[in-house]
Amino acid sequence: MYLIFKNKKAIILGLLPALIIFVFFVVVPIFRSFYYGFFEWNGLSAPIFVGVENFLDIFSDKVFWLSFKNNIFVVLASVLGQIPLGLLIAIALNKKRKSSSFFRTVFFLPMILSTVVVGLLWSTILNVKVGIVNKVLEKIGMIDFANDWLGDPKIAMFTVCVVIIWQFFGFYMIIFLAALQNIPDEVDEAANIDGANGFQKLFKITLPMIWGSVMSAVVLCIAGSMRTFDLVFVMTNGGPFHATELMATYMYNKTFAVYKYGYGSAVSLVIFVISFGLIIMSRKLMNKNETDM
Amino acid sequence: MKHYLKSIFKGKLMILILSLTGFTTLYPLIWMTYTSFKTNQEIALNTFSLPTSLHFENYLNAWKTANMSVYFMNSIFVTVMSIMLTMFIGALAAFILAKFEFKAKKWVYSLFIVGMLIPMQAILVPLFIQMRTVHLLDSPLSLILSYTAFGLPITIFILESFIGAFPNSIIEAAIMDGCSVFKIFIKMIIPMSRPALATVIIINFLNNWKEFSFALIFISSDEHKTLPLGLYNFIGAYSSNYAELMAAMMIASLPVILVYFILQEQIINGMTAGAVKG
Repeated sequence: MYLIFKNKKAIILGLLPALIIFVFFVVVPIFRSFYYGFFEWNGLSAPIFVGVENFLDIFSDKVFWLSFKNNIFVVLASVLGQIPLGLLIAIALNKKRKSSSFFRTVFFLPMILSTVVVGLLWSTILNVKVGIVNKVLEKIGMIDFANDWLGDPKIAMFTVCVVIIWQFFGFYMIIFLAALQNIPDEVDEAANIDGANGFQKLFKITLPMIWGSVMSAVVLCIAGSMRTFDLVFVMTNGGPFHATELMATYMYNKTFAVYKYGYGSAVSLVIFVISFGLIIMSRKLMNKNETDM
Repeated sequence: MKHYLKSIFKGKLMILILSLTGFTTLYPLIWMTYTSFKTNQEIALNTFSLPTSLHFENYLNAWKTANMSVYFMNSIFVTVMSIMLTMFIGALAAFILAKFEFKAKKWVYSLFIVGMLIPMQAILVPLFIQMRTVHLLDSPLSLILSYTAFGLPITIFILESFIGAFPNSIIEAAIMDGCSVFKIFIKMIIPMSRPALATVIIINFLNNWKEFSFALIFISSDEHKTLPLGLYNFIGAYSSNYAELMAAMMIASLPVILVYFILQEQIINGMTAGAVKG
């Protein structure tokens, strides 16, 4: 009877299309970047084998380390910005208010927009000439705080991170909202009877009960912010003076602006190893935390 | 009494935080909407003011002169084709992985699942080289195939667990009636998986409609550009034509916003469920 579920022909024919596309367009490229990473290649002439030279160049390039630092900055800003904000909003929305579903819809809205739209919109909003941010500051008498938000190397990175938080915090709000709704009402009532105040409830009851969700949100946030590329590419393209350079924009500019495909492949591989390592590490930490609880 | 006052204050504080955050989230989008109906002079004169009359010509100009019509059609074509391809081969693979027994099953499944963790940027350059080798650069096919490849992990992940819950007995009964495996897949598995397929279609639609990085490196000629890439052109070519830029951004965003308002619950659940379980 169960022979049908062991039908070799069906298994092979059924898996083949998905496997071919996935292997050819995802798995093979990773090995390719490994291979070309050891060559000097402008994309036209024959590749020249240079050994580990590309990797040595990457690790001795100040701009690469700057982009690495900026990447870590984005990760930290995302984890410390999106998760607390998402949690705060989720706690506020968890009280059954009439406006809750409206706010929920609003906060998730930026998530579905194309990052290019978000990038262009905020570039315009922060623009010195027509942007609304400086105009608002002018109107409320704080003209001194007006800035060239994306053009000043000292603050561009902060500005970019604010836009990233603006676009993505709604996602974490939804995750926390789902977790909060799983806490039975009785828990809250019991805490009230015992005379717990808001802060005690938050830190002694709510947070421990949704800690699993907080941890997976952190992992998602790390993985997500390591992928940042479009937004920065559209808003600043890594500038001014590499102030917002990320590993991905560094790779893009090294590969497609100056046609160093071998070097670009090597950077790809470095990005792959760093992000993958970071994701695996954060997952391990999360699992460990969950068993500790 | 003190406690009572405190809780009112806290309620008010929460409302204040919600309203401020809500305003910060919504106002840029509202601003984009009404600015798209203003003239460039009006924008230069006062950024905040509402349009004195609705200048639909911004949309017409964006649609025609700025080529948004071409990008729009390309986006629809690439998105629809990649969704159909992802659905079909993803569902087929999910069916096999959920119901059939073979040695490499776990291995194949993990291969797809690990794919969810691979950052797109890490394969941008090698995939570009690969596309060049097979002469697919600057063709819609390069986007359709890479969107499919990147959509497969989440598709298989969601469908596999859904199909796995179907009882084997109904499949066996169909075999007894003389159905082939392929016929069972088409006539039974696909219709029964409809709710999960809807989730997966939504996720893939949003991802592919928004996608920029692949389009940026694969597509060079204007006739093949998708909306995000077409919008990006605005930076150089129309840098001070804010009215038209806003209209173009509205054209690119309206389809997803409409779908979001209609299918909000499915979108929110789909996007978070896939991510959390992954």
